[in-house]
Amino acid sequence: MAETLTSGRMVSAPTQVKSSPLRSWFQRSNLLAHLCLIVVVFLILLPVIWMISTSLKDGKQFYTHSASLIPVPPSTINYEYMFSAIQELPIYMRNSFILAIGVAVIQVFAASLAGYSFARVNFRGRDLIFIGIVVSMFIPKSGGLMALYELMSFLKLRNSLFGLILLFSAGLPIPIFIMRQAFLAIPREIEESALIDGASWLQVFAQVSLPLVTSAMVVIATLAFVGVWSDYLVTFTMIDKNTQMTISVGIQKLLSASYESATTTVPHLRGKFAHEAADAAMLLFSAFPVIIIYALLQRWFMKGLTDGAIKF
Amino acid sequence: MAANEPTSLSGNRDLGALLKNLRGKDKGVKYNNLLGYGFIAPAMILYLVFNIWPIFRGLLMAFTDYRFVYPETRWKFNGIDNFVKMAEDENARTAMVVALKYTAIVLPVTILLALFVAILISRVHRGASFYRWVVYLPSILPLAVSFLMFREIYGAKFGLISNTLIGLGIKNPPNWLGSTQYALPSIAAAHIWIIFGFPTLLFLIGIYNINSEVFEASALDGASAWQQMRWITVPLLKPTFALIIVLLIGIIGTTEPMLILTQGGPENSTRSIGLHLYELAFVRGDLRLGYAAAISLVLGVISAIIAALVFRWARE
Repeated sequence: MAETLTSGRMVSAPTQVKSSPLRSWFQRSNLLAHLCLIVVVFLILLPVIWMISTSLKDGKQFYTHSASLIPVPPSTINYEYMFSAIQELPIYMRNSFILAIGVAVIQVFAASLAGYSFARVNFRGRDLIFIGIVVSMFIPKSGGLMALYELMSFLKLRNSLFGLILLFSAGLPIPIFIMRQAFLAIPREIEESALIDGASWLQVFAQVSLPLVTSAMVVIATLAFVGVWSDYLVTFTMIDKNTQMTISVGIQKLLSASYESATTTVPHLRGKFAHEAADAAMLLFSAFPVIIIYALLQRWFMKGLTDGAIKF
Repeated sequence: MAANEPTSLSGNRDLGALLKNLRGKDKGVKYNNLLGYGFIAPAMILYLVFNIWPIFRGLLMAFTDYRFVYPETRWKFNGIDNFVKMAEDENARTAMVVALKYTAIVLPVTILLALFVAILISRVHRGASFYRWVVYLPSILPLAVSFLMFREIYGAKFGLISNTLIGLGIKNPPNWLGSTQYALPSIAAAHIWIIFGFPTLLFLIGIYNINSEVFEASALDGASAWQQMRWITVPLLKPTFALIIVLLIGIIGTTEPMLILTQGGPENSTRSIGLHLYELAFVRGDLRLGYAAAISLVLGVISAIIAALVFRWARE
């Protein structure tokens, strides 16, 4: 407890209050806060925990104990059904990966170049253009979706993953802002000494500056991937062809698919699983990539959120 | 912080200083226009085509009777007809009421919940990063996945909530998404679960930025935890409140949860204005993009007015 206190953020109190009521108050409030937070964490995770447990229940278990959080014994029947009977699943997943990775790559590329330009290159109207980009973010995009529908139809980019990649990649203000900040954080001396040694602007950019901002690039790629993977409304509006559908939109159709006809492809599973439990397995599966990224790249993700939204 | 950095060579970090330096500088600075424009070109082309153009086009569209299936109506301007039609449109009016009701639930609850959790997290040191991680987890899940998950949780027959209530001895729990009384609050609760993480992080950053000496001094003066919160934390977080309200005000145009879960039912009790305009534009009949853009513009103006009022309040 004493360590928590001394390393605690708020307690850098002078030594004379060490054994005062203040200290015990902080101790107690800490404990109380932890207890409350454990309840909060449980409530936040409860839906997810229930989904995981539901996805591991066979038909009989689900119909008798649908609210229980621990499946005894766990069963993989829902996943068996999902992987063997749902033909669209791999197509939708592949499309989602193409879309999310495509946007991440284009955004990193475009934002790196633009961020460098706004940070380091002198060109006429530089600061005015940059401010324009920032200000334009705050204009409400009323009717934006309708205008995009018209635009995408005009460009023949509706029902095209490529078109959607371009559309999502254009959300560049925050990536440009993050990259600009990253380039500005590089000490000028490093670049200047390379210039004096006879390197060209382009060489300095590619060989000196760019390697120093890789963490900002990871931030942008992560935010782009997760954001695009999870989008619903724009994708739903622009894509209605099955071959171009992403998982985050297509999942709805998969859930309402007829289980009767689906089970004819896997007759040995018929009647052994509950379709609500199979739904749970599919929902978890379709969110799996973003959960993994969020778990592995936590640090960058939080950095991106704070850099993007707060410093802005 | 960056006011005295050389602004002519490296760009300025601080936006305010950037604005001040826009005029009256750059005398005798060597421009490198080719490289500069070349490097921003890919980003600018994408941004202009897919972000800036729709702003203007959406604005113009609001004053036309554009129906997508009749391309010749594209530039058929009809003045303020759309707005007159909207005022007379019974469905639009009820949908607006639903949207306001929805906002009146989601906005305050989200903010209070976020503030509460942020204060809790700010009080602990160990595990704080774990708590932050958990709090933001719902926000990264695909929207459709989260709402469909809640459809199962709200399920009348095998849902988590109804079954737990039955287990506790309550007979006949309500059919959450299927009753006119509970459908809207149920969707709102799911929505709050999804979005409250980001406001929590914003509040947390706000609290972390309050000088810890303020807390210590007040604690020495005998202030209780409640008093500290009431008289120090909350007043100093005013700018954060403003930022969060402005970020969340788009809720007034909520579309997705209704589109995914209820399609406006039962009996139009969840037909929000967002869903109404979405169906007008992309689902029903002749795809009235013009009229939908007009409704969308009204929503945008309402949000902008609220945002302006909030900013004025925050400045006081």
